[in-house]
Amino acid sequence: MRYFTQAFDYDHSWSKVVIGMWHKYPNPHCTHVMSVDVVDRSVDPQTGIIRTERILGCKQRAPTWIVKLFGGSEDAFVREISFVDPTTQTMTISSVNLSLAQFAVCNESIRYSPTPDGRTRFTQSAEIESRMALWHSVADRLESWLATRFEQNAQSGKLGFTDVLRQLWEEHGSEQHQHA
Amino acid sequence: MAHSLSAECTPLKLAYDACFNSWFEGYLEPAVIASADAAQRAAYSRAKAEEFERKCGAVWVRYRECVQKAVREKGLTDLLEHARKENPLKDLPPAVSSSPRS
Repeated sequence: MRYFTQAFDYDHSWSKVVIGMWHKYPNPHCTHVMSVDVVDRSVDPQTGIIRTERILGCKQRAPTWIVKLFGGSEDAFVREISFVDPTTQTMTISSVNLSLAQFAVCNESIRYSPTPDGRTRFTQSAEIESRMALWHSVADRLESWLATRFEQNAQSGKLGFTDVLRQLWEEHGSEQHQHA
Repeated sequence: MAHSLSAECTPLKLAYDACFNSWFEGYLEPAVIASADAAQRAAYSRAKAEEFERKCGAVWVRYRECVQKAVREKGLTDLLEHARKENPLKDLPPAVSSSPRS
């Protein structure tokens, strides 16, 4: 089992960050993300909470030993569920890999909420665990590769999203919002 | 522009995303304000949910149908169903309550 956690403050208000979330891809820092599709979305007529289920398709070359052992391919798909709650001003995002899920699971949790000074706190945690009764060394190497890749993607995601927010809200103004 | 799982669905994805983004940008800040009072929150949420359905319902049906077909064709249906069963996440995860601020 491996854990990863990070926290970061974005220099934009919570509303701007949440609106910006839907414009995060594509961005030049995250070229591994190839496709983003909404498979389900609902607006709760009582609470106003917006739940969205998405599938993201990523292209990331798995090491040869993984491809040989697990039959992985270049295409990795992720299921992402998010909740936007205007009452608590929280956006909560949970993601899990679909690809290779029989062998190892990476569960990621993200939260965006306002800071007292009008910025947005981002907290992220991930648990990576191999699932099958694998030889200890194989389980260890698989978890290690997933963890490394996750950390790299987390860093590029942060850079990418920072740029997206800047472009959306500071450089081009509101006309650009329609395009994702 | 971001793509869909299947190139065939990309135009529908872009149309749906544009519709949602336009609606959402108008939705969020008034929703935060309305949430201060339970009755206001319910009235606003209901009205906006209906508005979303009116504006984006038609393109959503077409986009969703296209994506469901693409998910099948990519062989993702079983993986998706398994993930949904294991962790439905139909409601907000615990430790985040949704009662209006007093």
